[in-house]
Amino acid sequence: MVDSAQSTVVGPSILVNGNLQGDEDLLVLGRVEGSINLTKTINIAESGIVKAEITVRNAVVSGVVVGNITASDSVEITEAGRMVGDIRAPRVIIVDGARFRGAVDMGDMEAPRASAPLPARTTDRPAMAKSVKAAIPASTSKASTPTPPPMAKAVPVAKKPMPPPPPPRKAEPPPRAAEPVAVPVAANKKLKKKVVVKKKPG
Amino acid sequence: MANTVIGSSIIIDGEITGDEDLVVQGTVKGKIQLKESLYVEASGKVEADIETQNTEVSGEVTGNITASDKVELKTQCRVIGDIKAPRILIADGASFKGNVDMDV
Repeated sequence: MVDSAQSTVVGPSILVNGNLQGDEDLLVLGRVEGSINLTKTINIAESGIVKAEITVRNAVVSGVVVGNITASDSVEITEAGRMVGDIRAPRVIIVDGARFRGAVDMGDMEAPRASAPLPARTTDRPAMAKSVKAAIPASTSKASTPTPPPMAKAVPVAKKPMPPPPPPRKAEPPPRAAEPVAVPVAANKKLKKKVVVKKKPG
Repeated sequence: MANTVIGSSIIIDGEITGDEDLVVQGTVKGKIQLKESLYVEASGKVEADIETQNTEVSGEVTGNITASDKVELKTQCRVIGDIKAPRILIADGASFKGNVDMDV
């Protein structure tokens, strides 16, 4: 009766409710609810539904997952996969067509920087700076201290993101503009109030 | 039809229900409820109440077994608990402690 002697299968009509742990691959064609703790790979097939806290080395989601996945290696959501929950893994692959809602935490970003992702990011940055103004504040907030001069030079292009960094140096025009505007308003209010007060006593 | 297999290194603490055969090579604690057959293999350990159509035990079972058809205790198996089924087979070499109810 045992077709696949070395791997664990939860068949399509099976419901497992509780804690599942082990040191081998798990293929889920049915339902598992509770928690899953494996030192190897969990494969959730298209017919599989998992509502559980999942801790594994690798996870491949082609079915439905509701719950958080923590993987020591990778999490992949395939084209047919649907997931709601948070993912924590050094490698996260979400394929086109997959549906996912939740947070992704790839942990220490140092390891990936050393390999391939970094060059891609550097190439993206210049394009982002030229085209997208909104991208500038995010990048500046993270790396504002190392590259202040380029920021100041780039400032004229994007006036809105500038406010936070400029104040010490060239922020004078905006503050002046802001101050006069604020002062007159306040003054007018005060005058009006004073007038009213004067009228009342008078 | 895909077989459901609980591999030898797997431990399930909870409840398993379903409409298909289940092969247990690992450990299951809690409850097993099937409309088909349960096979507890030599490496399998079940600490659960079992409700199935057929149950075949070659490993260890601690708990009550209720089957609508048949319970078979094979050689080398160890079973502690009550068995209730119309047909009950206990092979030579099987260890068993508990009550047998064949609904006579």
